[in-house]
Amino acid sequence: MNHNLEEKLSALFDGELDTNEVDEILDALEKDASLQKKLSQYALVSSSINNSNNIQSINSKKKSTSYGFWFSNAITAAATVLITFVAINQFEFSRMGEDISAKNKLNIAMSSKEAKDIVSKVEENLVDHVMHVINNPDLDNSTPYDVDLRNVGYNRLSSDGRKFNKGEKNFILRIEKKNLGINKVRYWRHGDKIIHVVPLADGRVVTIYGNIDAQSAINVANSISK
Amino acid sequence: MNNNSNNDDFLLIKKAQNGHEGAFNFLMTKYYPRVYASLYSYTKSREDSEDLTQQTFVKVWQQIKTFRGDSAFFTWVYRIAINLAKNHFASSSSKKDKLNISSSDIDIEFKTFANPESDLMHDQSLKKIRAFIDKLPESLKTAFTLRESDGKSYEEIALITDTPIGTVRSRIFRARENILNFISEELDDES
Repeated sequence: MNHNLEEKLSALFDGELDTNEVDEILDALEKDASLQKKLSQYALVSSSINNSNNIQSINSKKKSTSYGFWFSNAITAAATVLITFVAINQFEFSRMGEDISAKNKLNIAMSSKEAKDIVSKVEENLVDHVMHVINNPDLDNSTPYDVDLRNVGYNRLSSDGRKFNKGEKNFILRIEKKNLGINKVRYWRHGDKIIHVVPLADGRVVTIYGNIDAQSAINVANSISK
Repeated sequence: MNNNSNNDDFLLIKKAQNGHEGAFNFLMTKYYPRVYASLYSYTKSREDSEDLTQQTFVKVWQQIKTFRGDSAFFTWVYRIAINLAKNHFASSSSKKDKLNISSSDIDIEFKTFANPESDLMHDQSLKKIRAFIDKLPESLKTAFTLRESDGKSYEEIALITDTPIGTVRSRIFRARENILNFISEELDDES
């Protein structure tokens, strides 16, 4: 990469570039993905240093396609992972009141190897589960079931009782007795579909894979849990 | 628009007001993390913050011609962001639509949700980076800190450090490069 351009980019970031050089950098940015990435990194570092108590960019890969922005392409997953200088634990503690002793104890507990292993295992299991759903949407080893979702507006499409639709919304349903270690709804995007994983109070896990939104998925899960 | 001392971004804003998308892209990239961080501190939700940040910049693009430069650009953007956040929470239907943004260019996006353990590690990363900045050569650290933490202009830094403006510019750039290299190495170590 051209260091002269990068230095000018740094100066423009600070609003210190000469007027007659601004267009040169803007033109270069249009064409040079590595320069775009550099700009994003400058912004993340700057924001992180000045907002230590705030969360920074998390998976900011969404694209504002209506304007053809190149911003989303500029942040690499790697950069966002590290530059997720989060201090959520500080938010939570501050909301509970400043109990420094409790905070220290919890910090130690959360950073223990055991805690890390548990968190890591939960994430691993979830990713395995989601990848299995994506790769084998029609295969299901779970116990056959007969679910009626007409009360929430969905009709069954397949004889195995796992495909449903309402207008253009459709999804594949899985219900399994499975401990994924989660106690709240999680979701992942896959192309134009979303995989919702909803833990039920009775220990079952409902997985909904399709083009429905979170509220609809929760309605479906609620219907199943009744 | 007033070209006052509040607006380091005067040239970019002016261009964006004239419809220059590249200039707007620059501004958006520069302020996206700060807007996101501000919204997160308001909403405490990553998902809401992401959606609201995007909405904020759509609105900024739509309204940028009305920015007169009476305040710093970020202050103006921040007000738009917070108003959107307030409306978001006031609207009972807002949550219904929040997952409707498609990401057709992404094969799969694994959402990272709040978990205190990983957040603590990230917090530790920030501490490491701060420690690294402390260890930068004095000339780089001073120039970078005066700019990033104190918001001094290159001219002011040049006066404070008794160095030419070109040297200040070069030192700040080199400090940034060193920090990014450190981050890159840290990532390799931790991955």
